[in-house]
Amino acid sequence: MPQPLSAKENSLFRQVIRNYEDKQYKRGLKAAEQILKKNPKHGDTMAMKALIINQQGNTDEAFTLGKQALMADMKSHICWHVYGLLYRHQKNFEEAIKAYKSALKLEPDSLQIQRDLAFLQVQMRDYQGYIQSRTAMLQARSQVRQNWTALAVAHHLAGDLTQAETVLTKYEESVKVPPSKLDFENSEAVMYKNTIIAEQGDYQRALEHLESIAKSNLDRLAVMELRAEYLTKLEKKEEAVKAYRALLNRNAEHPEYYNKLIEVMAIPAEDTAAKKAIYDEYAEKNPRSDAAKRLPLDFISGDVFREAAKKYLTFMLDKGVPSTFANLKHLYTDSSKKEALGSLAHEYLEAKKSDAGDAKTDDPFKGEGAALYYLAQHYNYHLSRDLTKAMEFVNRGIEKAPDNVEFQMTKARIVKHTGNTQKASEEMEKARNLDLKDRYINTKAAKYQLRNNETEKGLETVGLFTRNDSPAGPLNDLLDMQCIWFMTEDGEAQVRKGNVGLALKRFHTVYNIFDVWQEDQFDFHSFSLRKGQIRAYIDMVRWEDHVRDHPFYSRAALGAVKLYLDMHDGKTLTDGANGDDKNGDAAERKKAAKKARKAEREAAEKAAKQDPNKPKAAVDETKKKDDDPDGLKLAATTEPLVEATKFLVHLLTYTPPRTSRRNSPVSRFTCAEKYVLALGCLNAALALDASHPTVHEHTIRFLQAIRSKMASLPSKVQEVIKSEFTAIAPSTDLEEFNDEFLAKHKGSVPHAIAAIKMKELVDEEVDQASVEKELAGLLAAPGITFEDAQTILTVLRGSRSKELDGFKKKAAEKWPEVTTFA
Amino acid sequence: MDIRLLRSSDLPLIQHANLENLPENYFMKYYLYHALSWPQLSYVAVDVSRPKKTPYDYPKIVGYVLAKMEEEPTDGIQHGHITSLSVMRTHRKLGIAEKLMRQSQLAMVETFGAKYVSLHVRVSNKAAIHLYSKTLGFDREKIEEKYYADGEDAHCMKLDLSSIKEQVAAFAGGPESEDDASEAEDEGEPVGDVGKAGDEGKQIPSRPKETKRKVKVGRPLGVAGLVEKDESKHP
Repeated sequence: MPQPLSAKENSLFRQVIRNYEDKQYKRGLKAAEQILKKNPKHGDTMAMKALIINQQGNTDEAFTLGKQALMADMKSHICWHVYGLLYRHQKNFEEAIKAYKSALKLEPDSLQIQRDLAFLQVQMRDYQGYIQSRTAMLQARSQVRQNWTALAVAHHLAGDLTQAETVLTKYEESVKVPPSKLDFENSEAVMYKNTIIAEQGDYQRALEHLESIAKSNLDRLAVMELRAEYLTKLEKKEEAVKAYRALLNRNAEHPEYYNKLIEVMAIPAEDTAAKKAIYDEYAEKNPRSDAAKRLPLDFISGDVFREAAKKYLTFMLDKGVPSTFANLKHLYTDSSKKEALGSLAHEYLEAKKSDAGDAKTDDPFKGEGAALYYLAQHYNYHLSRDLTKAMEFVNRGIEKAPDNVEFQMTKARIVKHTGNTQKASEEMEKARNLDLKDRYINTKAAKYQLRNNETEKGLETVGLFTRNDSPAGPLNDLLDMQCIWFMTEDGEAQVRKGNVGLALKRFHTVYNIFDVWQEDQFDFHSFSLRKGQIRAYIDMVRWEDHVRDHPFYSRAALGAVKLYLDMHDGKTLTDGANGDDKNGDAAERKKAAKKARKAEREAAEKAAKQDPNKPKAAVDETKKKDDDPDGLKLAATTEPLVEATKFLVHLLTYTPPRTSRRNSPVSRFTCAEKYVLALGCLNAALALDASHPTVHEHTIRFLQAIRSKMASLPSKVQEVIKSEFTAIAPSTDLEEFNDEFLAKHKGSVPHAIAAIKMKELVDEEVDQASVEKELAGLLAAPGITFEDAQTILTVLRGSRSKELDGFKKKAAEKWPEVTTFA
Repeated sequence: MDIRLLRSSDLPLIQHANLENLPENYFMKYYLYHALSWPQLSYVAVDVSRPKKTPYDYPKIVGYVLAKMEEEPTDGIQHGHITSLSVMRTHRKLGIAEKLMRQSQLAMVETFGAKYVSLHVRVSNKAAIHLYSKTLGFDREKIEEKYYADGEDAHCMKLDLSSIKEQVAAFAGGPESEDDASEAEDEGEPVGDVGKAGDEGKQIPSRPKETKRKVKVGRPLGVAGLVEKDESKHP
């Protein structure tokens, strides 16, 4: 029941709302106080006050007041609405929806509440609810086209294509005057309808509909592409050929058009000559097209390949295109093509050297220089690696063009592959100094510093290109701009340095960025309807549904999961796992903490000086106050497994079964005794690569664990395990199984490492010390790489083995250039 | 190399490319704002030859053009604007920037009836200025002092798009029958006319009429807030 106010106070209340909308929070508060002085229990005013306080950043206080407002006036839709808004702000969307619904019950005609509810429903993917809301909104304002389109979108997202189409058609039929050809909303709405028809699989009708709207449609490319697609599906080959040719005339750099053209021309896959002729035709038509020239290299072979590759390589190297190798390296999986390209580049270089007489190339990167660059990359590439040769070519290049960033940058990459992260970082720094205005090389230099655990220096380097007007320094800009690569690389470096807190901090930052990305779509639920770009909106919604399947997420998430698991196992020392430079770390952390405190103080001072009527800055400042800049609170968690699960849930939902990704869940669930989940992960990993060393480890761990625990598990769980775990017989002798694995992969160091580690589990006579000894002994194994030795080093370090120092010393002798052993 | 229209799922790697290459950066919502307002105008260059490690790998973006239409053109003329253009250093000299720009410009004319396209470039960025003026035919309009956050001046550059209008007519129907071709020719005109002063509101309603003076306690600032963001905050 609305609590009555006097006329004067009523106008004051309207002012509060106006002030809130205009973000004049200070004034709004003042007016609210004036009302409350006389009517201390006026629910609506209390609610508005809560809303303003919330906007100013005092969320907790706002929530308390919001609740009090509701208690004062349970029958006010404003109070319920505000309550919902406060929940929404806290991202408790379920509760927000409930509150909005209560508000709507009290005020069924409020468009505003209905809108707020609707957008939350679609944000939460409550499509049935969204359909309801949208139906109500359409009934309230059926003259607005947006409302029809929105209802169609709701049905579409809910999977009801027929209903979606019906709604769109109903609107079209209701229109008396045909829309102008320049009506963008109409142009897009009919295209949207067309894609809905096609999604139903009725290409004939889709084609007819498309042709009826094609001429006046403003999205020409979409019309052309869809038409070509429908014609192909309907096997109207002749017309489809024409359609794809028209598309190629428009954009000759889109491989799909070539593929489709060849498909509809019914050229058999093995007729490579006929296929190549198509590309040649377009290469001639578009001398600047790269796709037409390069793509045939994918499917031709033998002498034809050699000839075409020679032509391509000559053209590119003459022109001095730095991306020549990047453009061709995928061909290296075919060893004959790999050989051919290598020898062609050598031939080219020889030829250039012999006619050095007419050295009219003023650009040192053309011709000979380009060939040197190609060969340096060729020998640096993992499929054709010979780092000595790579170094030779890159040094010749540097001699020729000492100021060239590309050569110097490649040198750093070659050094990186020798394991010398220190020198690699130095070389990349040299490259950076050759072009101080280029952010690309700056980024590379910073990344190499981080890889070498120079975290402060890395931040300083990126800081040369960030906006540093915030007192918190470059990190703040990186946060604002959602610079994921830096957070991830820095987090991984902090792991290596043993700074658990900072590492967790960075991984959580990445997690939060993905939260923000998910939240970002909210405004577009209404915005896109206004803009009328419905197909783009649908594309966005579908992407947001799996936004966390991105490698950006899984990499950071796995980093966090690993840390939390180690914490659970008691492996990680909060003081730094990297025993050797403990002091340095502690000192650096102290320094960093001091710096952060100072920055925080300065930020607080600055915020205090802000005019509160400039809400934006004020809100931003409060938002940025971080009460745990060094992640110390994160590192102090008593429930690492719960934290790990937070990261894992998304990995399990979205992430493809990739060995490295699925592995950590196995151990996590095994140790948390969630056997059914662990089995799911394990089976996925087994299906992918059963002979992978890590998969082997997990198989043994799993079997070992269920053997001892099986009897105590609920009978349902026992059943599932019995029926689903079929990889090896449950009665298998694990010691034998492990030995067989070792024998089967004899000569492979990574497999040996896994098998030796498992000995401790499966063989009662083997203890930890002897495992460590055997692992350390692998250093003498033929074919061991420094990467293998790094794996062993990590194992030894984790168990604080006595072997550690001796192993490290010997490894350093063997690979003096590798920084980790130094 | 694959030059194609931008999709939402490309955005993380576009943002990444931007952060790696350029000092003017944006948060995700700003990219979404472009992708959802003018989805026809932004293009990406994808390194398709890069071997996929898993079938789920996202395609590697090596270049992009992020473009928009000016929402409220001060001169009243419909025109496009290049918000950001970048090509990875490792993929230069392949003509990628030019190809991206040409696709974007074509769509500006076809879909939104743009008369010209404008952009800002750092006065010190010789390579970009060369691309815009020599390869793409942009004219230097004026210098905007201290346009960038670090105090550097910007060249404001413009390219007249009337020549593309002819191209549009040519592409309109592809190699169709005579009949279609002439129909397509007709298409060119009305599209261009959209640019007339005062007409722009009709084509792209930038604000909803219904929310204009409502008591709205909902989200105080929607995407509309990003519009101003462009000119004030950035580059």
